[in-house]
Amino acid sequence: MIEPLLFLWPAFLAAVCLVGIHAYFGIQVLARKVIFVDLALAQIAALGATVAFMLGHPAQSVATYGYSLAFTLLAAVLLAFTRAWGTRVPQEALIGVIYVVAAAAAVLLIDRAPQGAEHLKQILTGNILTSGYNEVAVIVPLYAAVGLLHWLLRRRLTGTEPLIWDFVFYASFGVVVTSSVAIAGVLLVFSFLIIPAAIGVMFASSLARQLAIGWIVGTVISAAGLAASFAFDLPTGAAMVCAFGAALAVAGLLYPFLRGNRQSAWRVAIATARWTGAAILVGSALQLAAAPRADQPLIDLVEYAVPSLRALYFTRAEQTTFAEAAEYAERYRREADQLNDVERRNRTEGNAFDDFRVARISSFLKSYGEMRKGEQFVMGEVRARARERVRWGASVCLLALALLFAPVRWRRLWARVPR
Amino acid sequence: MALRFALIAAGLALASPGHAQDQIQVVTTTTDLRSLTEAVGGERVATVSLVPPNMDAEEYQPKPQDVLRLKNAHMLVRVGLDYDLWVDRLLAQAGKLEITRGGPGYVDASFAIAVLELRGMSVGPGDGHAHGSGNPHYWLDPKNAEIITGTILEALARIDPANAASYEANRLAFLARLKAKLAEWEATLAPLKGMPIVAYHNSWPYFARRFRLDFFAFIETKPGVPPSPSHLAGIVQTMHARGVRIVVREPHEPERDVAFVANKAGASIVTLAASVGALPRTGDYISLFDANVEALTLAATKR
Repeated sequence: MIEPLLFLWPAFLAAVCLVGIHAYFGIQVLARKVIFVDLALAQIAALGATVAFMLGHPAQSVATYGYSLAFTLLAAVLLAFTRAWGTRVPQEALIGVIYVVAAAAAVLLIDRAPQGAEHLKQILTGNILTSGYNEVAVIVPLYAAVGLLHWLLRRRLTGTEPLIWDFVFYASFGVVVTSSVAIAGVLLVFSFLIIPAAIGVMFASSLARQLAIGWIVGTVISAAGLAASFAFDLPTGAAMVCAFGAALAVAGLLYPFLRGNRQSAWRVAIATARWTGAAILVGSALQLAAAPRADQPLIDLVEYAVPSLRALYFTRAEQTTFAEAAEYAERYRREADQLNDVERRNRTEGNAFDDFRVARISSFLKSYGEMRKGEQFVMGEVRARARERVRWGASVCLLALALLFAPVRWRRLWARVPR
Repeated sequence: MALRFALIAAGLALASPGHAQDQIQVVTTTTDLRSLTEAVGGERVATVSLVPPNMDAEEYQPKPQDVLRLKNAHMLVRVGLDYDLWVDRLLAQAGKLEITRGGPGYVDASFAIAVLELRGMSVGPGDGHAHGSGNPHYWLDPKNAEIITGTILEALARIDPANAASYEANRLAFLARLKAKLAEWEATLAPLKGMPIVAYHNSWPYFARRFRLDFFAFIETKPGVPPSPSHLAGIVQTMHARGVRIVVREPHEPERDVAFVANKAGASIVTLAASVGALPRTGDYISLFDANVEALTLAATKR
């Protein structure tokens, strides 16, 4: 057994390094209001690499890196000079334009050389799970150097100094993003950049504290995301991005409690929760009454969690039909799996089946698939009919529940009713 | 419609071969089918493949020129089995009845193939294909070329009955060459029988069945979804347990993920071409297998 810890350790180290540099850049990016600048720079770097690739340089060569860097520096010049735009057109507009044009230009180039497609994809969709110590060994000195540079120039890189310092900012950020996107992919790098920084800015005002909060939060969430991705068998990058999103939501919920009037925060929170609950119940009641055969998200969810609830509105006959259909559907699935397994094992074991035998297996598989679909149709039909039968009563019950949920002061209303 | 078709057929029958305009214009979706069509059609057909070599045909994005190619075509050969679904929309746009489903020039090459890994209409668990029509990589069994070229021959004979005999001769000559080659490949790969192999994408069941190889795990569980850590850990663990020495990657698949798994398990990476032209020296159907068989044996005997 491979220890999960050992398996996830390099990815975690890479995540810590990325959070380290990106939380800092994130605070800067938020202050300058250039949120999507990392996407634009990453795409420009990818375009540079594509050009190098088209000119015949291999993927991991100095020349390719040089082209990437040159394109990134050009973009940095553009970005630095457009700070002055801010008064008329937001700088974000230009950043967006750089992003889409770089992406489109890369597509045009790749159209001429299809083997570049995978190359471009690899530049932009890293997978942090498969990062190794060699990659960590490259980014640690690089990020340390960039961090040191920024610390030395900390009075110059405020975004209000002459344009040359803006150029230094965007150029160094471009160097960082070019390497990080190849390791973790654009989605995760964007989360590393914005979310720890946003949480830090939310709860502290000095740069040092914002950074400290960002680093701690980023590290903890990365660990949680990695662990969740292992435990629940999820794609790592996507799981981590969602973990970061959830963390931001939690921070947003906590903010009024920690920063504002605690009592009024509670009141607002409870009222919001009750109104939301009531709205969902009313919506479900209307949906059930109006279209009982359509999807009923709330009822489906409850039934999925507690299947025995079906007994409440199924007749006995319906229950038996439903259970039998479910059983048959499962049986067909098992049979099909077994047949697939027999064929798969026969590829290397025993005497090879001839085509006739294989064709017979696949026609059986097709029938099992159809039969299973039939049983599933029966299940859906039984449920739809049962729901159609009880729709008025059930809708009224849901509405009554919604009234209980809604934060309306019933007693005061009752007192006002003229008698 | 029938009249128009008869006119075309008559025109083609009268024309002498050699002029580009007089050739039968065949569009195929993939380079593999192009190679097989050329083997049957010989000089009388001009074949063009919509998907360029070394591009993932399942993710192909058609271009405006493709509609034009279909409009000028007398025959379309497609892989079917939900592999090249995008061609349906192109066909609707081209609006040429003779090469749409049911027309004389429409060839679904999967016709009469013994399909593997069929999962009914439901989405199967973790086999790397999100469709239920069975695994579509059937051209990777050289024996299936017999059936595919048969289907192509039938269509060519329908369109150009005057030259049916020559198409048939072409096909038989090709099959004879293929048969000799197949015996050679089977002999070369015989020592690898039952060898456990991991691949990035599940492109190889037909290849595995013919050459008795055991492609038992795939890094990619669903197209476009990166593998989860527990899935990779499971693969690496099984690779250690079974002593797997080969991880197969296609040229368009991410190198990084494959290298990660191979390094962890101490296996070597073999880049195989699942389509004609995906690698150098895979210019036609037979050299495709030549190159793959050579690469596999080289990797297996390396240590």
